[in-house]
Order: sequence, then C-alpha cells, then structure tokens
Amino acid sequence: MRTEEIHGQVTALLVEVIGDDPRWAPLRTARLDEDLRMESVEVLALAARLRERFGERVDLPGYLAGLDIDGIIELTVGDVVDYVARVAG
Amino acid sequence: MSRFLFTVQPLAGHVNPTIAIGAALTARGHEVAWAGSEAALRPLLGPAATIFPTGSRLYRDQGRQGAYAMKTLWQSFIVPFTRFTLPAIDRAVQDWRPDAVLVDQHAPAGALVAHRHGLPWVTLAPSSLELARPFAALPRVEEWVRERMADLWRIAGLPAAEFFDYRFSPHLLLAFTTPALTGPMPIPDHWALVGPVLAPRPPEPGFPWHRVDPDRRKVLVCMGTLVPEHAVAFYPRAAEALAALHPEVQGIVVAPDGAVPDPPEHLVVTRRVPMLELMPHLDAVVCHGGMNTVCEALAEGVPLVMAPLINDQPITAQQVVAAGAGIRVHAARVTPDGLRTAVRALLDDPAYRAGARRVRDDFAAAGGAELAADRLECLVPRPSPRSAAPEPTIVGGGASPLA
Repeated sequence: MRTEEIHGQVTALLVEVIGDDPRWAPLRTARLDEDLRMESVEVLALAARLRERFGERVDLPGYLAGLDIDGIIELTVGDVVDYVARVAG
Repeated sequence: MSRFLFTVQPLAGHVNPTIAIGAALTARGHEVAWAGSEAALRPLLGPAATIFPTGSRLYRDQGRQGAYAMKTLWQSFIVPFTRFTLPAIDRAVQDWRPDAVLVDQHAPAGALVAHRHGLPWVTLAPSSLELARPFAALPRVEEWVRERMADLWRIAGLPAAEFFDYRFSPHLLLAFTTPALTGPMPIPDHWALVGPVLAPRPPEPGFPWHRVDPDRRKVLVCMGTLVPEHAVAFYPRAAEALAALHPEVQGIVVAPDGAVPDPPEHLVVTRRVPMLELMPHLDAVVCHGGMNTVCEALAEGVPLVMAPLINDQPITAQQVVAAGAGIRVHAARVTPDGLRTAVRALLDDPAYRAGARRVRDDFAAAGGAELAADRLECLVPRPSPRSAAPEPTIVGGGASPLA
C-alpha cells in the first residue's frame, strides 16, 4: 500500500474519532496533542481502529510508549501515517 | 502541643483545604503556620495567620493539552517555583522549628527542606493527577518528570543516593478524595483519603442574589479560577446552550469580563460567586472538571457536565463519569446543542443526581479535616515540650547551600 493511500485511510479513521470539522483537519503536519486536541480516550479509539484496519502489527500504544516527552508533544498525523506504512505497508 | 508548617501553591484551591486542617489542629492546641506567597495567602488565611513569606512569581505559560500541558506545568511552574521558594522555606524551618511539614504535591520545596532537616513530612494531594498516573503508558514521559525531580534534588544540595519520588511522602499522604471517585485502588497504610476539606470562604458581597430566581431550575457554569485563553471560547457556547433552556432554567455564569458578550437579561454573568452558599440551590454544574469545583458540587449531591482542559481535569472528569454523577464533553469540540443535550440529561434523568448523592454520602463519611488531624498527631512525638526538643538532624550534612 502506498503512503498516500495509507494517509487517506488514517485520515478517515481520525475523522471517525474526532469528527469532521475544518478546525481539526488531520493534515500531515497537524500535531495530535496541540492541534487536534486529542484526548487519551480518543488516541485509544484511534489505536483500536488502526489495529482493526491494518492488522495486529499496528500497535499505536506500543509506538507511543517508545517516544520521549517531546516526541509525544510533536507527534503529527504524518508520523502516525509513516509508522503505519513502516509496520503494515 | 506540636507545630505544623504548611507549604502550599499560591492558589485558592490548594490553600483552602489547609485552612480547615489548620483550624482542626489549632482547636486541638497545636500551632500552625504557612510558608508561601504572603500576597496570595493573606487574603485567604486572614490577618491572624502566621505566614513565612517566600515571595511570589507569576507563571503564565501553560500548555493547552496532554503531555505539553504536563511539561509546562513542571518547566514553567513547579521547577522555578520550587527553586525560588527553597531558601525562604529553609529559613522558616530553621527559625520556627516545626515538628512536621505539610507539602503540596506540586510545590515540593517543603519536601526537600524537610528531608534535609530530617523532619517528618506529609504530602497533600489536592488533585487527582499524581495518584492516577495518567502517563503510566508513556514510560519516557514519566522518566522526564523524574529527571526534573532529580534536578531539584541536586539544586537543593541533597545527596543523590537518597533520591526518591518525593511527590509521595514515605510518612503520610493526605488526599482530598474518596474511593467513590478514585474507584478501587490499592491504598498504602500511610495514605489517608480524607475526602474534600471545604473551609468557609471570605464573603462575596458583590453577588447579585436578588437576580437569582427561586422558581427556576438553576445551572452554574464555572471554568475555574485560572481560565486559559483558549477556554474563553467555551463561554459563548455555554451561554447559547443556557439560552435554549430558558425559561425553565436560569443560568449563572462565572466568567472573566467580556467572556459572554451581550448576555441576555435572564442570564446572571459574574466574575465571582459564593460557591458554597450557592451550591445547595443548584440543579447542575457545568465546569472544567477541576477538583475543587467538582468536589464542591458533589459534596452537595449536584451532578456535573465537565469539559476538561488540562492536568488533572480529564482524570477527575472520567472519575465522575465512572461514578455515574456526570457527563464528559470535549471542551474544544462540543457544540452549544451538545452542551444543551448534556445539561438536559442531568436535569431529566434522576440517575445522575442519585450518582452525585452516592458520592456526597461517601464524602460525608470520609473523615475530613478531623481525620487529617488524627493522622497528623500520630506522626509527631507527643507530648513534645519545646524546651526539650532535640536539635533537628541534618541529613547529608547540609554540604551545599540551598540555592
């Protein structure tokens, strides 16, 4: 699967979780924390959808557990897309 | 008779429980004093209180959400405030010789000083944040916090080998919550969940009681004393939701000036409210999920809609939802209609009020300031005639001065 395709699918799953609103447009550069204002319950909901769509190898909580505090703060939609592409692509 | 020194953040929600505990200790013949910003503490504590001034600084930089909010809490507040207050708190301990120090979990200078002088010290946990470990799933985030604590330990001149997580006193921890909110969790013997400790407040003579309509159901909107800039956008949406519930419901909105532009005549918009006096008249509270507002509401059995912003607020909000005493909405995403629906549910479905009353009853049975005083008395040697008090042990030899 190409990265653009994965980006489209991740974006669609994000919209399912946080709603369809131009203020929360999940652009590649949007940070989950400060830009999309995602709460931990929403991150877990996204993780469950990603696993369902792309398979067990996509372990978002496991990926996040390896990040340091700035990695968490600066985490973007693009980072999640790249991670999914890396493990499932 | 013993001496207890409180070291607190200069915030009303953190100071208020210490007033009630201080009063309980004083009534038992003990002496109490506070170390902190006199400008912030004096109006809350009154003219008779003993205050060792530490000076005060303002820290405004605050992240909006999640890990960034936690990073700024430590980087912009806890670390600089602790460094700034260390010398004054050390002097207060040397001059006044308390038998125990009570330390706000987010103003840990008192813990460093007490450890340095070998004094028993007590953690005061006014929020749900540290007990709930919200970043347990992110080990490197927790590690970052530990590094900040280690930095302060070093700055205080304490020996590295003795370092430990001083957000949690090994002697006693007093938490102003109960299992009705925390849910089942292991409680070590040296922890006491004493419930909310609500002290009487200075009066609010400016509150327009004459505008409060006794014949309508009443909903209060309050987003806390420290309203971050981005939260101001919540008020117009809340006002719109309340307008849609009028005339059955009267809304009372606590907001900074101008936050609700052109409020309708039926809406009471005010900067401050006499929260404890007003609460028994309310049918629902809309708030940010801050521990103080939540506990003040639940202590009267009033259910809540919570739009949490930062720090402990999402945790507290989730606890209230789990207790069946309220509804959580997303502060940034919720629409006026979504808010109206949530408030409507609290007013129409008696299950929420029943849930809030279960928490109220648990709070009432928890023990409060008297239990806190019991536990504090167990911590200090009794009787302790001051003339015979031993010199405090200096841990680590006091090798480096407190900077």
